Amino acid sequence: MLPLAFSVSELAQQVVFGLAMGGVYASLALALVLIYRTTRVVNFAQGEMAMFTTFIAWTLTENHGFGFWAAFFVTIGIAFLLGVGVERIVIRPFGHASHLTIILVTIALFVVFNGAAQWIWSPESRAFLGPFSAQPFDVGGIAIARQDLGVIAVTLISVTILWAFFRFTKLGLAMRAAAIGPDQSRLLGVRVPWMYALGWGFAAVLGAVSGMMVAPIVFLSPAMMQAVLIYAFAAAVLGGIESPVGAVVGGLLLGVGTTLLGAYAGVTPELELPIAFVVLVLVLLFRPAGLFGRVIVRRV
Amino acid sequence: MPLLELEDVQARYGPIVALHGVSLTVDEGEVVAILGANGAGKTTTLRAISGMVATSGRIAFAGRPLARASPEGVARLGVAHVPEGRGILTELTVWENLRMGAYMRRGGEVKRDLEQMVDHFPWIEERRNQQAGTLSGGEQQMLALARALVARPKLLMLDEPSLGLAPLIVQELFRVVTRLNEEEGLTVLVVEQNANIALGVSSRAYVLEVGRVAVEGPSEELRTHEGVRRSYLGY
Repeated sequence: MLPLAFSVSELAQQVVFGLAMGGVYASLALALVLIYRTTRVVNFAQGEMAMFTTFIAWTLTENHGFGFWAAFFVTIGIAFLLGVGVERIVIRPFGHASHLTIILVTIALFVVFNGAAQWIWSPESRAFLGPFSAQPFDVGGIAIARQDLGVIAVTLISVTILWAFFRFTKLGLAMRAAAIGPDQSRLLGVRVPWMYALGWGFAAVLGAVSGMMVAPIVFLSPAMMQAVLIYAFAAAVLGGIESPVGAVVGGLLLGVGTTLLGAYAGVTPELELPIAFVVLVLVLLFRPAGLFGRVIVRRV
Repeated sequence: MPLLELEDVQARYGPIVALHGVSLTVDEGEVVAILGANGAGKTTTLRAISGMVATSGRIAFAGRPLARASPEGVARLGVAHVPEGRGILTELTVWENLRMGAYMRRGGEVKRDLEQMVDHFPWIEERRNQQAGTLSGGEQQMLALARALVARPKLLMLDEPSLGLAPLIVQELFRVVTRLNEEEGLTVLVVEQNANIALGVSSRAYVLEVGRVAVEGPSEELRTHEGVRRSYLGY
């Protein structure tokens, strides 16, 4: 059969699956952007923190009798505290250190979370039951997996809540102000260091959402977020590392793109990750500001 | 008791001493000016009050010592500091900047105060969704002033508000400050290189030279003071 002889139904299924994976990448990419914008830190441990919190969700469902959604929301709370704690205890003491130092600190965090997860839960893969059944959903004669639609919905809802928070609340505005002009913001009474900690907290929440959504698809294991992190970096860079909208669009593009390449261009799964890397490098070479990188107009 | 009191305040940036023991007071309802040449320590004095630079000596605001206070802590006590370069958050919109002025306040009057600023500066309404960095220098200074006022400060500190602005805009700016002082008893500490303006709006003034208070007194008297006239008024 020619590669082009595909059915509309199959294409639609592939696109929806791509959007679901894209939503997972987008959540983690948004977490990276959030931390980069607030504290100028590239957090290499973002994926491992997400994996670690997903294991907590798994423990809650497996050993403590929680339903998925109960575990989901408890985990979100734990992730928030974890993010705030990591910033205050680990990142803050390096406040004025160079970028290189902070990058090494986040790589150390990566190793610590990964090691801790292997130690506590063992390195093996486990099934993580998601909240969405595998039963297909009929959309105009096309069978779409409920799971995919559910993942898309959950990630879009989290992203929208976060956007509304930053757009409409006083605290969200203060967090943006602290990121843009820490010195000016302090003169307005903003407790800037706490704003940074909150930024890490929200990023950890997004990471947890991303982890809990991808675990049912890829199986739960200490290594499960490592590929996702690469996609998230590629998505964040593609969209413009400063742009939250860009991170989401970049994540969705990458999800759909790699899925379609896999389905129709004969790209095998082991090649998908290198493709994400190629995207990352090409964007950095030819359009370092990314698709949504803004040119800031200033008059002095 | 003065609202603000500095006693023998020294400040340093690393090894460089910027203030060699400055003492000054500001009473409630007063407009006080700090004059001096570039590098005399005017900006550092305001930064010392706001906790933006390491100091020794005594700084008290409304009877409370500020020695170890952080900039946000000082702001929360009711000091609004419009810094050198205006401190506009250039990537936020005009309205978001104004809302940030009310960050420390809660309650229903905030909305009314925001509306009141629009009465003072009607152009804010038309430009409310414009990125603040695209405003002209004069508009940015007005916005910085409006934002400081929305905080309902007990003390307003302005650092070189006239810098780089057209004379007409400077007049307009000080008209607003004077009006708020007369009508609402707003206390103001203004740093200026332009001694003419500063002595015009203030009731008392301090002249700083290389980190020390060289001359102080009622603004009217400083206008006729031989040294001040020659060095700062240019006649």
